[in-house]
Amino acid sequence: MKKFRLALIHAIAIAALSAIIPGCSREDNQDYGLPPGSAILRISDSDDVPTLDPAAGYDTQSWEFEQMFFSTLLKYGDADVELHPDIATSWEQSQDATVYTFHLRTDARFSNGRVVEADDFRYEIERVLTPATRSKGIEYYKGIVGASEFTAHAAAHVSGIETPDPATIIFHLTKPDPLFAHKMAMPFASAVPREVVEKWGEDFSAHVIGSGPFMLKEWIPGQRIVAVKSPLYFVKGEPRLYAIVDLLGVNQELAWLKFQSGQIDAGGIPPAEFPYVMKNPELRKLALKQTTVTTHYMGMNCQMPPFDDVRVRRAFNYAIDKNKLIAILNGRGIAARGVLPPNLPGYNPDLKGYEYDPARARQLLEEAHLRHDFTPQLWLRADETLMLLCESIQQDLDLVGVHVKLKPLAWGPLLEAIRQPHNVELFMNGWEADFPDPENFLSVLLSRKQWGANNDAFYENPKVEALLAQAAPVTDMKLRFELYDEAEKIVVQDAPWVFLDYPVTYTLVQPWVHDYVLNPMRPTRYEKVWVEPHK
Amino acid sequence: MKRYARVMEVVGLAMVASLVVVAIFARQLAPHDPTRAVAQTFGDPAPPSWEFPMGTDALGRDVLSRVIYGAQISLTVGVAAMLVTMTIGVLFGLASGFFGGKVDFILMRITDVMLTLPGLLLAMAFVSVLGPSLVVLLFVIGLVSWTGIARVVRAEALSVSQRDFVTAARALGAPSHRLIARHVLPNVMPLIIVMAALGTSGTLLLDASLSFLGLGVPPPTPSWGRMIEEATIYFRVAPWLATFPGLAIFYAVMGFNLLGYGAIARRRQT
Repeated sequence: MKKFRLALIHAIAIAALSAIIPGCSREDNQDYGLPPGSAILRISDSDDVPTLDPAAGYDTQSWEFEQMFFSTLLKYGDADVELHPDIATSWEQSQDATVYTFHLRTDARFSNGRVVEADDFRYEIERVLTPATRSKGIEYYKGIVGASEFTAHAAAHVSGIETPDPATIIFHLTKPDPLFAHKMAMPFASAVPREVVEKWGEDFSAHVIGSGPFMLKEWIPGQRIVAVKSPLYFVKGEPRLYAIVDLLGVNQELAWLKFQSGQIDAGGIPPAEFPYVMKNPELRKLALKQTTVTTHYMGMNCQMPPFDDVRVRRAFNYAIDKNKLIAILNGRGIAARGVLPPNLPGYNPDLKGYEYDPARARQLLEEAHLRHDFTPQLWLRADETLMLLCESIQQDLDLVGVHVKLKPLAWGPLLEAIRQPHNVELFMNGWEADFPDPENFLSVLLSRKQWGANNDAFYENPKVEALLAQAAPVTDMKLRFELYDEAEKIVVQDAPWVFLDYPVTYTLVQPWVHDYVLNPMRPTRYEKVWVEPHK
Repeated sequence: MKRYARVMEVVGLAMVASLVVVAIFARQLAPHDPTRAVAQTFGDPAPPSWEFPMGTDALGRDVLSRVIYGAQISLTVGVAAMLVTMTIGVLFGLASGFFGGKVDFILMRITDVMLTLPGLLLAMAFVSVLGPSLVVLLFVIGLVSWTGIARVVRAEALSVSQRDFVTAARALGAPSHRLIARHVLPNVMPLIIVMAALGTSGTLLLDASLSFLGLGVPPPTPSWGRMIEEATIYFRVAPWLATFPGLAIFYAVMGFNLLGYGAIARRRQT
């Protein structure tokens, strides 16, 4: 109700403003200092962008912009999570995955005109490794030889990074890391011009210069970011847009109204409007969807009775109707069968999960002699949609004789609570991949080493532990995925989670916008996007 | 005019009585279990039909059955919270009005302080700290809404205790507690009953507001406020989900208000 009223007030306010102030009804290109008639993509965000400095940003919104302004050695495809060349034209890794060599293109330039060299990558990684930068990416590059000496200020440079010539960069690692190439596709490892960073210091974020397809024209905090195409971008014919305007401080409801009136070109769908959009054929046509590399699960604390009994955990898996959850989400998900989501390399499409089978669940609970007065508490993030899903879960479990109480609370306290041992028996959580590799799910979420960190189900199985240790350094992808697959099968058998769903995200894009593609793991790249002339 | 007051009172009484009947016989009246899915309308609420006169919600539950069972919670919370409200309010008001002086001053300053705090916010704070449950809810609602009653009862008690029959009883040596119980309270009683009816509509609304904010009786127990909250996502595709519980709240509040105002109007004229 409240939301609806807010939307109504916004609508009236906008209508009134546009009637009173001529020329304000349409945000003209001139308003942003852009040539009339130029191809512009208009997007919006409710909050200001945290940072544009690639060493600092570690959130979707910052990365969306860092991808525009900077280049990395490698990047992901527009709609896939495979590695593709960015500034590196080719790369090799040693048999044991401890030495990585990248060959750089020589025609890449920063928007200030200087040619991008291997040293610029070395400089940025050293910047990330410098404790004073307080980069959240520091962990990813600690495996480089000499990184710890450099971080401790015992060396002027990281000894494991070699730049024999301006077009070659070689990384030596302390131990095998088959995922290292992926770390070179994170914005942390962008090429940045040293002279510009040193000129601005802490203020670099507001004056970024990189070698990406766009350059920062204007950033008025809380109002807008304007990015214009970089004439020096190394891919001919890209970017196809002249500029991107991001309107800041536009909340979801206002963005929705702006989208409907054609004032922004792409945007999300507020949860309260989703069923409406899906029922409206005109709007539905404009929706792009993508399965993200994410798994939603209901964790069961394997150290807390009765969830220390695998029969109880399996019973919960049989008792919950995942297809009903997907229906409640209006199709914004795919029923999960295991830990790894589709779109993740190493995903096993033939994995046998748990079918909805309440009779089986009841039988297992009887075998486990579950007490009839057992009323577990299901902890969840306070959110309308999640609450609805949990009520459905509550219904399902009620049918097998388990009466669940729901405990909604804020995201921060929830994360804090589930990390404490013997604290939370049942909880809703999810994980989105940082790297497209099974290691990023299985080792991060289910290894004994992650107790008190990310292994919030406090799951432990020595067989899984051994397989994870065995798989981690393997560079033969086929063998690697087989090992992880074996580990995943054991985890599914042990059922530390109820495997719920792999979420699907939706974005609405105006009919005049083309080649706008959603990536399963990273923000959309804008260099290939183009817009037709429109009113 | 007197006839209108009478009509208001009777209609109000009938509305409240009908609610009480619905609440008591919810099990017999509701066509379905309010917490179970009875239709496969997951994520796609179905509009009213012969089978489901108020439609079904996104979890496949029958809205009519939920509205009927919702009466139980709303009435329980509304009436029980009103009793808490009345107990506190009447005690404060009687003591203030009867004793006057310092007692009056202190009690009324406490009341003033409570009046400055917005009831809904205070209730939200209490429920957030104590955790939502039926008992917490009715005490919290009671604790934040007694101030108005305390003031009205004080005024009435003040005027009653000045009257001759009280003075006479006091002259005969009756102790304070006897004076209050036998002389002041019976004379304030009609007012208290009227205030109780009006107070119930207030506590009902507060309960609905708290439930709407997710601080009401926890699910799966159906409550009108929560039903409206759950309907917000579907407001544009399934407005009936919010409409029927909304009408139920309207009906209940209206019933208690008619009863209360009717009684006031009749009392003024006699």
